[in-house]
Parts: sequence; C-alpha cells; structure tokens
Amino acid sequence: MSIALPPVAPRRSLVVRRSTHSPALTLVGALVLVILLTIAPWIVPAQFATTLTNFFILVIMATMWNLLAGYAGMVSIGQQAFVGLGAYATLYFALKGVNPFVTIPLSALVCAILAVPITYLLFRLRGGYFSIATWVVSDTALLIIGTIALLGGGTGRSVPGLQNLSPSETAHFSYLATWFVALIVVTGTYILLRSRMGLVLASIRDNEVAARSAGVNVRAARRTIFIVAAAGCGAAGAVLAISQPFVQPSNEFNLQWAAEMLFVSMIGGLGTIEGPIIGSIIFFALQQTLQQQGVWYLIIVGALAVAIALWLPRGLWGAFRARFHTELLPVGHWVDQLGDDD
Amino acid sequence: MSLLQLEGVSKKFGQVVVGEAITFQLMQGDAVGIVGPNGAGKTSLFGMISGDISPDSGVISFEGENVARLSPAKRARAGIGRTYQVPRPFEHMTVFENALVAAQQGARARGHKSYDIAFGALERTGLGPLANRPAGSLTLLHRKRLELARALSTSPRVLLLDEIAGGLTDLEVNELTTIIRSLRADGIAVLWIEHVVRALLSTVDRLICLASGVVVADGEPKEVLASDAVRFVYLGGKRIDEDAS
Ligand SMILES: Nc1ncnc2c1ncn2[C@@H]1O[C@H](COP(=O)(O)OP(=O)(O)OP(=O)(O)O)[C@@H](O)[C@H]1O
Ligand SMILES: [Mg+2]
Repeated sequence: MSIALPPVAPRRSLVVRRSTHSPALTLVGALVLVILLTIAPWIVPAQFATTLTNFFILVIMATMWNLLAGYAGMVSIGQQAFVGLGAYATLYFALKGVNPFVTIPLSALVCAILAVPITYLLFRLRGGYFSIATWVVSDTALLIIGTIALLGGGTGRSVPGLQNLSPSETAHFSYLATWFVALIVVTGTYILLRSRMGLVLASIRDNEVAARSAGVNVRAARRTIFIVAAAGCGAAGAVLAISQPFVQPSNEFNLQWAAEMLFVSMIGGLGTIEGPIIGSIIFFALQQTLQQQGVWYLIIVGALAVAIALWLPRGLWGAFRARFHTELLPVGHWVDQLGDDD
Repeated sequence: MSLLQLEGVSKKFGQVVVGEAITFQLMQGDAVGIVGPNGAGKTSLFGMISGDISPDSGVISFEGENVARLSPAKRARAGIGRTYQVPRPFEHMTVFENALVAAQQGARARGHKSYDIAFGALERTGLGPLANRPAGSLTLLHRKRLELARALSTSPRVLLLDEIAGGLTDLEVNELTTIIRSLRADGIAVLWIEHVVRALLSTVDRLICLASGVVVADGEPKEVLASDAVRFVYLGGKRIDEDAS
C-alpha cells in the first residue's frame, strides 16, 4: 500500500492544459490539410500522385521507426521484415479472393500478431546486438517467404484483384488508401503520445534507468511499441503491394526501407512527431530535384545525414522547436498555477 | 514488523567489494543516515535496494516480502522511492511531467489524482513555480530537488536519498532538512546518504557507517561518530568534524 501525500495547503483544483496554443487553430489547419490531401490526386498530374503515394508510404514507416528508436530506444535495422510480411499478407489474402484494399487492416493485424513471439526472441538482446538481430529476423522472413511457391517464391507474383481498374484509377485509389493509412498512423501516434503511454515513452527516451525507478515498466512499454510499429509497417507493406502490385522478396524486404526510415527520422528529428514527417518532405524534395544527378544525389544525401548527425543531433525539427518553443502537435502538460503568474 | 530488512547482502564488482554481509533493518517512519568514505559502497547499496543492481547473495525484504529479484519498476510501485546522486532528470520533459510520470507509474494514479500528487510533490520541494520549465534547463540545486520530487511522486513508504544536500548553502540545507522532517512526520521512512554530517544529525535518529562494503557501525548518531571503528575509517582516528560540510 502507498501513502497518499496530503497537499501542503488547501488549494483550488489544479488546471493542466495539454497545449500552449489554441487547439481550435490546430484543428482548422489539420482539417484544411486533410481535405487538400484527399482531393490531391484529382488536382495534380498523374505521376505526381504516384510520388505522393511513395511519400506517404515513407511517412508511415518513418513515424513507426521514430516510435521504435526515437522513443523506445530500439534501433531496428530490420523493420523491412514487417513491410515485407505486410505486403505478402496482402498478396496472400488477395489470392484467396479478398479485395486488396480490404486486406490492409488484415495485413497490419498479421504483422502485429507475428511481432509478439519475435519480441520474446529480440528482447533478450541489447543495443547493437538487438539491432543486428532485427536484421537477421528480416532476412529469415525473406528466406522463408522465398520458399513458398504459392506466393511466387524468389521471383515474385502480382497481386490479383486490381486488374479491372484502369491505371489512373489504380493510382488514385492506391494514393487514397496510402494517405488514409498515413493519416491513421500519424493521428494514432499522436493520440498514443498524448496518453499516459506518451509520458512513459518520453521518460524512457530521456533516461531509462530513472524511468525504471520511477515505476515505469520499460519492457512492457517496449513490447507494446514493437507490436504497434510492426502493425504500422505491415500496413505500409500492404499499400506498397497495392501501389506497386508486383510483389517480390528482394523489393519488399529491401534493407533500403530501414535505411530510409532511419535517414528521414534522423534529419527530421528523433523523438518528435513532426520530425519524421518533415524529414520525409526533405527527402522527397531532394529526390525530386537531384535524382537526375545520379551518384551526386547519393553523395549529397549522405553528406546531409552526416552533417545533421554532427551539428543538429535532434534533427531539423528538434532544433527549430528548441529555438522557437513551438509545437504543431503538442503532447505536453502545461500547469496553470492559479494565483501564481510565473 | 520491519519495513525494510537486509540480511547478509553481498556484492562484488570484480575484485571491488561493495557489499559484505550487509544486515540492518528499518521500521516505518525511521530516519537513518548513512555515512562512509568515497567508494564505500553507499550508492551501490541503494542500487541493490531499488533494484538497479542485483546482489550476489542475501535477502532484501520489503514489508515482509523478499524483493531481491523484483524489477526496479515493481519495487518503485511497491513503495521504494530513490533519488540519484548524479541527478537523472528527464531533460526534454517539463518539471511537472517528470513528477507526473512517477505519479502515474510509480503511484499508479490516473487523471486529476496524478496531477495532484505530482504538483503536491513539486510544491513540497519548492519546485511549484518551475513546474512548466524543461527539466534540462534546471540548475544542479533544482535538479536535486527534482530527484526528491520525482521519488516523492511515486508515493513511497521508504525514501532512499543519495547526497541531495551536497553543495547547498546553509539556508538551503535548512530548507531541505525541514522538508525531510515533514516527510517523516507523514510516516515515510528515510534512508539518507550524506557527507554533510550536520544536515544528517539534525534529521536522523540513527546512523550507519559503511566502509569497503562493511557496516562498521550502526546506532545512535553521536555514539557512531565517536566510535573507534568510525574514527579509524576516517583516517588515523581523527574525530569527524560535526560542523564540516
Ligand atoms: N557498475 C559498476 N561496475 C563496476 N564498479 C562499480 C560499479 N558501480 C560502482 N562501482 C565501484 O564500486 C565502488 C563503490 O561505489 P559506490 O558508488 O557505491 O560508492 P559510494 O560509497 O557511493 O561513494 P561516493 O561517496 O563517492 O558516492 C567504487 O569503487 C566504484 O568504482
Ligand atoms: Mg555514492
């Protein structure tokens, strides 16, 4: 039993606000953005819709990776395991006659369920060993999937159920599906980080030892986040399989997915919700403007990553926030001290 | 029944003995000081009680239950609160949020109840006006206060305080001892490591002296400080200067 501490002096009930600026403003801004992005495929050129689809796939993955590494201290370089498993779950369900768009939540669920036993293996390891083990898990998944003839073995197979759509319809619908998944993932992450779990994660991020002695069950929090991130990346894999409906192991389980998640979260800022989104915008802007430069594109992207790691360890958004004290998506607790104007 | 009981607790880091058959007990509302030279194993002892360090052998009972194999989080929830000698604030969270996470996880409180516990702990430790500050911006003095506030927010039955008075002015030490005496009055037991003996003597009614992991004295503070064993520990039998800080 614990002893409740009586307050020093009787005082009026404490008022705790959850944002420093008016939530109405954020809400209106978010609503406008949601409407614009929903009608985007009808107002932008067709090939740009495909770019936007890829952009939101990256936003989903980076948001999940940021939860893992930026909050829960799990540097996974094997997150492509769940991208691949999500894509293959979609292929499997589509082969069984399920509408590919309907498979998205199913594939996310499959990945969440698969993640549970995987945590019991991975959580025996720490730090760098954990990271390498995640990669081993991903390669193991790739090898196993490659042996299943129904799923196209090593060469891959196209996702059925999309052929009766015209190419532009496919582009529009897969964009919408991706955008809605991204919206759900980012909103869900925001709600998660505003909850008690958000404080738990922030405390683990800042000081794991102190978090434990403050009563935080670090392992349970990590397990939850690993499962959530698996589901999110699984959904990303599902929309990937729909937008590029030829599913093959070397593409879906590509290490490049993990590299992009890591890069984007780092330049945007780990440990913030906005960071991975801003990182994704920068990454895509660079890609669009520099892709023609071939090798130089890679050199510039690499140099940028190194520069930010060295000089802006909390990423662009982290640095911006520290300077201007603003948050687009506030998760904090702000005490209004009655009768005290500090 | 004793609140906290250690029996034969031993621990080595390689060749370094930090605990050698440590045995003592603490009753509800006790206030006990721990002194000993640098490297005696005082902080390690706290680590073993709070669960950060697992002892090689021995029993640690809290409220009659052996907790030696429980995780630090479980022990915090059971009522063992601790501060760190080198403060470990959650730097990117506000002072209030530092206490709040402890109230929600350590004391298992929710909603307004957790707000009241956390803010109550801040007010008690004089951090109320700094509630909205990022913890990373605090001075050392305030970081030490925050350690206390966070431990307090877990609603502990025993508080382990590791050198929270080091480097404070006389006035600040007086403030701190007032706070700690008020905690005792609420029935919280206190185990307090401190080199500032004067602060200890004004607050505790028992003193334990630890040297190389061994309890060399345990008893009434003045008697412990005057004992041959303790005088020997503090070099050449010179008496500890009670006014030194
Ligand atoms: N995790 C560890 N690994 C190895 N050695 C350690 C570890 N923690 C502490 N030690 C060693 O154990 C000894 C006791 O350390 P401890 O911090 O418990 O001493 P202390 O009595 O708190 O000293 P101080 O008064 O300086 O705070 C020291 O020699 C220290 O170097
Ligand atoms: Mg110490």
